[in-house]
This record gives sequence, C-alpha cells and structure tokens, in this order.
Amino acid sequence: MRVNHRFVCLLLLAVAVRGAPAQQTPRSIARGDPQDAPRSITIDSRLAADASLHVGDRVVVAAGTGEPGDTVVIAAITQRRADPAEIARGEYRVRLHLGQLQSLLGYGDRVDRFAIATPSAGATADAVARINASAFGFQAHRSADVAVETSKTFAVVSRFHRAIGTITIVASAIFLLCIMLLKVDERRRDVAALRLIGCTERTIVGSVVLEAAAIAVLGSLFGVVVGGTASFLVNRHYQAVYRTPLRFSIVTGDIVLLAVALALVLGIVAGWLAARRLVRTPPLALFGR
Amino acid sequence: MLATLALASLLRHRTRTVLAILGVAVSAAMLLDMVMLSSGMRESFRGLLLSQGFQLRLSPRGTLPFDTEATIRGADSLLAVLRARPTVAVASPVLGGQLHFPSRGATVTASALGVEPAVQGDYELVAGRQPTAANEIVANDATLRAIGHSLGDTVHAAAGYDPQLRTYSGERTLRIVGRVRFIYLALDQRAVALPIGTLRAMGGPASADRISLAMVKLRPGAEVERERAALHALLPRVTVTSTAQALEQVDQRLSYFRQLAVILGSVSLVVGFLLVTTLVTVSVNERIGEIAVMRAIGVHRWRIVGQILLESSALMVIAAPLGLALGLVTARWLDSILARFPGLPERIDFFLFQPRAAWTALGLLVISGILAGVYPSWRSASLPIAVTLRQEAVG
Repeated sequence: MRVNHRFVCLLLLAVAVRGAPAQQTPRSIARGDPQDAPRSITIDSRLAADASLHVGDRVVVAAGTGEPGDTVVIAAITQRRADPAEIARGEYRVRLHLGQLQSLLGYGDRVDRFAIATPSAGATADAVARINASAFGFQAHRSADVAVETSKTFAVVSRFHRAIGTITIVASAIFLLCIMLLKVDERRRDVAALRLIGCTERTIVGSVVLEAAAIAVLGSLFGVVVGGTASFLVNRHYQAVYRTPLRFSIVTGDIVLLAVALALVLGIVAGWLAARRLVRTPPLALFGR
Repeated sequence: MLATLALASLLRHRTRTVLAILGVAVSAAMLLDMVMLSSGMRESFRGLLLSQGFQLRLSPRGTLPFDTEATIRGADSLLAVLRARPTVAVASPVLGGQLHFPSRGATVTASALGVEPAVQGDYELVAGRQPTAANEIVANDATLRAIGHSLGDTVHAAAGYDPQLRTYSGERTLRIVGRVRFIYLALDQRAVALPIGTLRAMGGPASADRISLAMVKLRPGAEVERERAALHALLPRVTVTSTAQALEQVDQRLSYFRQLAVILGSVSLVVGFLLVTTLVTVSVNERIGEIAVMRAIGVHRWRIVGQILLESSALMVIAAPLGLALGLVTARWLDSILARFPGLPERIDFFLFQPRAAWTALGLLVISGILAGVYPSWRSASLPIAVTLRQEAVG
C-alpha cells in the first residue's frame, strides 16, 4: 500500500490558528527545537482574506484555545475546490505535515484514512476485497462508492429541481395554450375570410401551427438568452456569497435543446388545438353574423 | 349589476376563462408552496429546538452542536458551574460517540449518546423505561431492526476497535430497557442512548470528563440572551448558542432554499399577473364597442373601471382556492422529496403549512388580480366614445 496524501487536512475548528505579524517571533512555542526552521503549512484563501494572512507569515497553530502550539510558516494559499459538499460549511482549511498534526493533537501513530492508488479498476476491486477480508478495525471503500454516498444530498436537491421544473412546465403549457387561443381568436375574421374564399381547413390549421411554431422557437430562443443571463448572475452571486469557484447553474447544449424542443412541442399543440377550434366554427359565425 | 356584467363577460369565452383559472391556479399553487418553503424550514427547526424546552446549547469553542467531533474537557466542573447559577433550571450533558454491536457474524454500528437520563432532551421514550443503571441502554427502531434484538434483550457492545491489538475496546454487556425516538436524528439513522458514565468508561481515557454538548433550560423569567452572554464570558472554552442564534445559522446554511422560494414565488406571481392582464386586455379589446355604447347611454366611467377590475379579481379569487388546494398537494410531494436529505431530523418540514402562509398567498393573489385589471380598465375608461362607436359601426 502506498500513502497517497502527504498532508492531512483539518478543519480549523479542531486546530485554532492565531495570526502573528510576518517575520516576528511568535509569543509562544511549546514544541519542537527553537533552533529548527519552522515547518510550513498551507491555508485556504478564505482564511487568508479573513485573517489578513499572506505567504511567508508566521503563525502559531494549537490544538485548542489557550494551549501551547507550534510556530509555522504559511507556504501557500490554496483556492477552495469546487466541491458542492463544502459550500454551506463556514470552516477554514489548513494543511499541515502529517507528523506535525499528529504531534499537535496527541494523536499518536494514527491516521483517519489512507488514499490508495491502484493501476486499474480490476486491481481496485481486488484490493478492496483483500483489505476487507484481512484487515481488522477498518474498511476499504472504492472512491466511486464514497462519491455516491457523499453526493446523496445533491441527488435530493437535483430531484427537487426536477419537480419544480415539472410544475413550471405545466404552468408554462397552460399559459402558452391561453396565449395561443387568444392569438388565434384575434384572427377569427381573417380565418372566416380565408374559409369563404376557399382555403381548406388543412391550409388554415397548417398556417396557424406554423405561426405558433415560429413564435415558440423565437420565444424559447429569447428564453435561452434570459436563462443564460440569469445563470451568469446566479453564479456571480452565489460564488461571491459562498466564496467558491463552484458553478451553481450551468446552461448546457442539452438543456437548451430540451427547452427549445419542449417549447416547440407545446407551441405546436397549443396552436393546433386553437386552430381546430376556430376552423370548426362556421365562417359567418366567426364574422359575428 | 356590476357582478352580473363581469360574470357574463367571463362566461362568454368559457374555454379561455377555464384555461386562465387553471393557469392562475398553478401559479397560486407555486406561490403558496414558495411562501410555505420560505418560512416553513425556519419555523419547523425552531419548533424542533424548543420542543424539549432547552434554550441554550454549549459546544466546544468555535463549533456548533455536533458539527464536529470536538469535545469539551473538564465537563464535570463545567456542569457544576452551570448548575450553580440561579437562572439555570436544568443542565443536560451529552457525549457523542459510536457503539459497535457484533450481530450475526457482522458488526452493526450505531451513533451513541451518553446522557443523564433524568434530564436528557435528545429522545422520547416510545416503550419501556429510561436507562437508569450503568448497564442499561435504550435504542431506536432502526438499531433494534439492524441488531435483531428487542426490548428486554441483552446485547454485547463495543466502543471501538484497537487496530494494534486487533480487538474491540471498551466492551460491555448492556440490557435494552427502552425503545426511543431520537428528536434530532433522521428516522433511519441507527442510534442508542446510555448513561454518560457508561459511554465515558467504554471510550477510555480519551472520553474521560468530556462532553460533546450541554443543553441548558433556564428558569421562567430568565432572559435568554443575557444569560447566553454571561455564560459566554464565564466559560472561555465553549461556544454558547441560543435558539435565536441557531436559527440564524440555519438561515445562513439554508439561504439557498429561501432565496429560491423568493425568486420562484415572485415569478409565479408575475406569471399569474401577466396571464390575467393579457386575458382581460384582449377581452376589453373585443368588447370595445359594447363599452362605448354603455358610456354613450350614460354609464359612468368608474362603473366600467369597476366591472373590469371585478373581472380580473374574480379570475384570481376563483382560481385561488383551487390553487391553494393544489399547492398543499404539491407541497407534500416536494416535502417528501426533500425529506430524503441524508441525516435530516424526522420532524423537520421544509413546507410547513401555516394559516399565515395561506393568507399571504391569497392576499398577494388578490392584489395581483386588482393590479392586473388596472391597465385594461384604464384603457376602457379613457375611450373616445364617438370615435369608437363610429369605428365599430363602419368596421
């Protein structure tokens, strides 16, 4: 087995970080030889911004408030990953060398988990089976299974969005049908005239359906522009609120295609229903005679 | 007279009116759902936090209760300080952990809460009694199902594994004396509770004199925020959270749903408004000759305005009960989807029906209906009578 991670990340709720001005001697150093050069840590950009910390600053890390700690140097400031599981969490993240963290926490020769790299999917399954059969006190999981387990929350949110989308589609369908009915009703005299000069029902229905389809496509294209703009604004807003590079809203080609197709189908059906209703009315009745 | 004319106008185009009512009903349903969503979670969570009467929660400094695995050291002295305060009626310590139950060749793991049964506020007894002796335990249905035991049975439990010695650590034989429902845990989450002393002993030196959380119930008349501030200043190793603060944290974490509710609720209202405005405007355009005739025979313009406003409001008012009923059905459906959030307490409702929510939705719909009639009624009231009559006559 090969340990893949050199660092163990720890929520700052467990390890308090107290800032000290750059190049100044920290107030308390309890562990380690003072002659040694301080070890390095990385902090996330949110902590750097909130505590006004920079690369090269010296800070004291301790396991708890008021406890002695170690002096360390900030070697890097990391950008938080686009991980949906982290967006609602307000904690800061600090990465330390494994041995230093074990020492700080009095954790002994222990780790919470190992990450193991395998050469192939088959080797992964074999490794999981062998570890779980022989190991005692811990369990191996495939990364894919862990991902499924941790993404359950987002699967629920996704189902919720689909349900909201369904309700929206029902509302849109009724709205579209209403508008098409009105639009066709407005042309009852034109339709009556066309009927009287000999146009077939099929021609009239066809022309209305064509018009409905054109309106639906133009409307949905306008909707795509509105949706794209809304998506951009949503991303800007929530990325700033949660300070994450995560994209909250994505307008993909599939989504655009689905929206346009749905609008087209709804438009054609609404136009066809409205036109059928009109052509079945006698022309003179349409004229109001 | 006004109502008769408005009704006649709506009945003239039945299909159109029915479609409009359906459209507004769907918008109203969505509006009600979003009003319920915007306040439901908060109220539901508030009810949950206050259900056992504890107003303050003490957790390790910088954390929220059970947000991390951090614990508070020196728990006994902390509890002594709390219980000595004249404003504190009850202080209930809780230690979180895990217990492993060897069962049918496998191991079942459950969340374990070490509590003082006499003052605990984490679970409700469904059957049996509280675990008063050191070797007694209570469990929820999910755990009993998983380990295949029932009330009165004896089980073997371990607090952990020692990988170096390759053996269970902190083993005990415990008797199940109660079947409980945990208030803050999900229904399918396996959990047990036992005396805090037993769990500490099973956890070894790492758990000695530690708690994960302390819940405080104040005496009647004590001011919660003042006591919170006093405890915060007195106890530097803990964070003291009041129910109001916990709700603020929940608001922050679930702000997404609140914002979604505001956006979708507004969109629903706008869609309903546009639908009614369009329908009434078209209806007025079709009846422009009639309206001119009414004005010509002496009907006052304000009566025309009143009739049009009545038409638009009627559409909204007729659709509202249908929409509210539909909204309750869809709210149950949406709530059943969100109830599958992993770890969500059983009692949390995202869509909590409150009469205020229904009245708010109804009020917004009526206002929207009246506003939807403003433009067409203004248009009908400002018609030049003679010109309109001539145009209608000539065509």
